[in-house]
Amino acid sequence: MGSAKAAYQYCPDKYNYETMKICVVVPAYNEELVIGDVVDDVKETFRGTKYFCEVVVVNDQSTDKTAENAQKATIINHLINQGAGGATSTGLRYAEIHKANWVITLDGDGQHKAIDALSCLEQAIKIDADLLIGSRLINKKGMSKVKILGNRGLTLITYLLFGISVTDSQSGLRIFSQKAIDVLEWKSTGYDFCSEMLWRAKKANLSIAEYPIQAIYTDYSKSKGQSNWNAVNIVKSLVRRRIVEMFE
Amino acid sequence: MRYALLLLLTAPIVLMALMNIFTQYKMKRISKQRFVQQFILWTLISTLMFASFPVYNLVSGNPLLDSSSLSLFDIVQTTAIVYIVYIINNFRRKIEQNERTIRNLHQEVSIILSSRNGKG
Repeated sequence: MGSAKAAYQYCPDKYNYETMKICVVVPAYNEELVIGDVVDDVKETFRGTKYFCEVVVVNDQSTDKTAENAQKATIINHLINQGAGGATSTGLRYAEIHKANWVITLDGDGQHKAIDALSCLEQAIKIDADLLIGSRLINKKGMSKVKILGNRGLTLITYLLFGISVTDSQSGLRIFSQKAIDVLEWKSTGYDFCSEMLWRAKKANLSIAEYPIQAIYTDYSKSKGQSNWNAVNIVKSLVRRRIVEMFE
Repeated sequence: MRYALLLLLTAPIVLMALMNIFTQYKMKRISKQRFVQQFILWTLISTLMFASFPVYNLVSGNPLLDSSSLSLFDIVQTTAIVYIVYIINNFRRKIEQNERTIRNLHQEVSIILSSRNGKG
């Protein structure tokens, strides 16, 4: 499972068997200013490639015009605000229902380039990875020292709690194989899902890999990203999750 | 006598917890690894309960843990702690199950409604 060869067999009849169906999931909450550009960037990048790409924007009860501005994509409107983890989970469920061969998740604030997503996808297919993380910390260019410190801290916590060694545990750019789509399930609905997902993947014996990406930090994406104070909340949730699971 | 009373009060709770774990494992609701972890945890608790007399003697000889012999209040307190751990764990599991059900329901409804609106 997870190999490109196996993936071809899962293509629905209406698609060419030489084409793999890719679902690009973009969880979005109040991203009216950039969501249109994110959708356009993905569509433009995947046009003319061998992949059949569907962009799915999971609108997590935005109070602005996120849904209107993402009209070129498939839109799933959450009825209740669920957080980044819940929105990503909905996107993966949609991909599972529609039998996507691979899923890419991107942040809705425009910090990821679609070309990086495509490179990550091709790397995941090449090395047969079930879960591939686009790591911003292999090539740290443009990332503030505060962000690097916060990410390093959370990555260290992830390692101490779950024994998973990656360079960027909080990256939103991730590639999922069909096996990962079927198997992965997490309980966290907030940003702590990033670390929990890695833990679940490890427990499910999925192969985890990383690939360097270049994140774009604009004033907008900086204002939308997680603050280091939020990292404290994430750590609290992860510790609680780890302790609670001992009694399950 | 007091130690026997402590054992008599806590043994049913530990037995119920162990039965729960076995049932969940047999019904394939928990993995083998989780079953082993839970089994070890509750076996440890029951061992401490069964061996409460030597354990109490051992710790009371230690200057840091020195205390008077087991009183009736201690028995009630220890039983209550074990019972509360058992109850809280059960409640937490049920709450998490409900949370998951609601989240899954919300997911499915959101996807279905979006499909009906022609956007999904």
